[in-house]
Formats: sequence, structure tokens, C-alpha cells
Amino acid sequence: MAKDDVELIKNGKRLDGRKFDDLRKIKIEVGVLKRAVGSAYVEWGKNKVMAGVYGPRELHPKYLRDPTKAHLRCIYNLAPFSVEDRKRPGPDRRSVEISKVSAEALSSVVMLEKYPNAGIDVFIEVLQADAGTRCVGLTAASVALADAGIPMRDLVPACAAGKVSGEIVLDLMKEEDNLGECDLPLAIIPRKKEIVLLQMDGKLTKDEFKKACGLAVDGAMKVYEMQKEALLSSINNVRIEE
Amino acid sequence: MLHVKNGEAVIPGQLLGEKIWHGINCFHEGDNVFSSTQGIVRVEKDRVKIIPSAGGYIPKEGDLVIGVITEILTGRWVVDIRSPCLCALRGEEVTRDPLTTDLSKYFKAGDVISAKISYVDEVNSCQLTGPWKLDGGIIIDVNAKRVPRVVGKKRSMLNIIKDKTGCKIVVGQNGWIWIKDNKVKLAIKTIRKIEREAQTRGLTNRITEMLDKEADG
Repeated sequence: MAKDDVELIKNGKRLDGRKFDDLRKIKIEVGVLKRAVGSAYVEWGKNKVMAGVYGPRELHPKYLRDPTKAHLRCIYNLAPFSVEDRKRPGPDRRSVEISKVSAEALSSVVMLEKYPNAGIDVFIEVLQADAGTRCVGLTAASVALADAGIPMRDLVPACAAGKVSGEIVLDLMKEEDNLGECDLPLAIIPRKKEIVLLQMDGKLTKDEFKKACGLAVDGAMKVYEMQKEALLSSINNVRIEE
Repeated sequence: MLHVKNGEAVIPGQLLGEKIWHGINCFHEGDNVFSSTQGIVRVEKDRVKIIPSAGGYIPKEGDLVIGVITEILTGRWVVDIRSPCLCALRGEEVTRDPLTTDLSKYFKAGDVISAKISYVDEVNSCQLTGPWKLDGGIIIDVNAKRVPRVVGKKRSMLNIIKDKTGCKIVVGQNGWIWIKDNKVKLAIKTIRKIEREAQTRGLTNRITEMLDKEADG
């Protein structure tokens, strides 16, 4: 519930001066880690997220091995210094859940059948959090998977929408997330506009939900263009170096 | 109909064309053909394929690979060939009676061998043939997808490096390269340069120039 003392929307503008359908500033870097097979670093507003991909490699424990396809594991981790109060390190209920939904979203695009019995590990490290980290994490992870040369059907851009002071807005920041009414993170396969991740925290009416969903899909398409640009420039940089 | 040009960079899931033939690293849905990895497009007549810029090694029959013996089992060795699957070298390759002879007489754990892949099954487990022990030297690790560039057309690039540095070099298709004797450091530097600039034109000339300059100085 919105508190009365904080005015989240003033004259049709949000706290940081964005319009309702504006994204925060996004910067995507590819291939930042030398030891990982593929990696990406994403700055999304005040969010800072690093993703690394290892594999396909031998999978342990052995009982997870599947002779028909590879097993994709995802580990989402908040750094102790990423939030205002120190976050107790190690997996907790929230990060285990986000790991699971991220792994499922990524599994739907990665061609796992090409690597039977193998394992692919995706690590998402949140260095600084400012609402919407699972979207940033997925965006970074799919770029890192592409950088690792793992065959995929498409990238997975993600974006959140929500309800703040009665208005449907795109890409919530921390204040809006904490004091707003609803948060709706969503990840899509851009080519087919299929939804691979959808969660909701709060309440929306049916019409509001439809509006928020449409807004988030449009936002994710914008993110997709940025992912594309970052990946293409990383390939072309290598070639221009003469 | 093609939507991309020869030599264009593509990302996974990008539309390459409709109703066209496609080769490696592509997939189709209905009439549409898409790329499945990021890399460079190669168009040959009416066929399109993607040269990937990264990725691990998947064993293929007939490939020469460099492996490290990890374990001795009854009658066979387990070999690490830098791929996610199991790789075995049968004792019959070196002795008539592998079950009763002591296999560590031939290869011990930690030994480096070069061998050909004779058989790959449906889960990518493979068997090796014609093992050759590589004594001494060092192994370096390069991107498996850049190995064809290190070898060059008709082994041209590899022969240049061998001539100018005087090294013994064995290139495994799995991205492991074994180097021994003489100017090892120069050979490594050259291979790293090739790996870095694999997707540029006129690389052979530049490598020859560099080697000439370095070998004199």
C-alpha cells in the first residue's frame, strides 16, 4: 500500500523523472570474465548484475544426468553488500526460488538435446540490487549463454511492470517496488512472444493485468534490441581488430 | 530467400531466410531458417551455415584429439578429452590380452596421448584408436572452434609455425595443443594471436611477418 507521505507520481512523472512507459538506463557488456566460457555484465538503472556460464561439462551429482538432454542449473545469488542492510550470505528461500524460475525460463530456449548427459551451469551474481533483479539476471544470463556459444532458439529478455499509486508503470525502481501496489516481472521469447517467466506480487484487476502485461512485453522487446546490439558488437569488435 | 549476407554477424534465433537449405548451427521452424548460435554467416550457393565464435568440443568420428589419461579400469583407460562425455581407450589397442596384463605399463594416469576418435555413440561417449604417447612438452588450451584456423588450409598455418619456431606441435581438434622443443614461447604467442584474430582476413601473411620479425630478434 502506498504511504501518504511519499508522493511516487507527481504531475504525470515518476520519482526519477521517467514517464510511465520508460525503462531505466541499460548497459550490457559481453565477455567480461576470462575464466568463464561465456559471461555478461548488465547495469540496469542502479542494478549491477554479473552472469557467468560454465559448460557444457560433466554433470555431478550423477543422478541428475539425463541421456536424452542436458541439465541446466541456475544459481542466483545476492551479494552481501548488494542491499542496504547486509544480506546474510548463502542461499535462502528467495534466491532458491529465483534460481528455479530462471533455470526453467532459460531451459525453454537452450537446445538441451544437443548435449546428452551434460550439465550447463549459469551463475547470476547480483552486485547491487535496486528492484527487478530477476529480470536483470535473466537478461544477463541469456547474453552470457549466447556468448558461451551454446545453441539456443532465442534470447530471453525480461522486464517488469507494476502498479504504483493507481497507475500502471513499466520497470519499477526500489521505492516504487517497496511502496507500490503490485510488481509483475515477465520474461519472453521475442520471436514468438511466448512468456517463459511470469510472477506477480500484489493485486491487479483483470484489465490492469492485461495492460501491465502488454507494457512489460513491449519493455522486454526494447531490452531484446539492446541484447542484440551488445552481442553483435562483441562479434564485430573481434573482426575489426586488424 | 536469404535475409543475410555472407560474412554477416548473427545472434541466436536470428532469421536467416525462408525456404533455403541450411547446414551446421541452424534450425528451421516451418519454412523459416534461424541461427542457433552466435557467429558469422557463410553462404555457399543456396546453402547457409554459421561459423560459431565460441563453444565447447563435441566428439566427431575421425577427429585427432589430445587427451589426458585419468583412470585405469579393467581392460581400458578413461581419457579426458575436454568434452562433457565419457571417453574410453580400449586395452586391445596396445596389447592382445588387456585383462591380464598390467595396463599401467603402457599408459599411467596423467599421461598425455594423441589419438583418433574411432566411434561416437548417441550420448556422445566415444572410443579412441591409435594412441600415441606424448612425452614432455606442454599443453595449451585454445577455443575449440578456432582450431581449424590454427591448422589452416591444407595445414598451411601449422607448417609455417612449425618451420619458423622449430617446435614439435600436435593439434587436437578438441582445442588442446601439445608443444615441445625450441621456441615454445614464440609458438604459444603465435597461436594465441591466431585464436584472437581468427575471424579476420589475411591472417596467414600477418603471422608470417610476425614470426619473421620475432625469430630474427
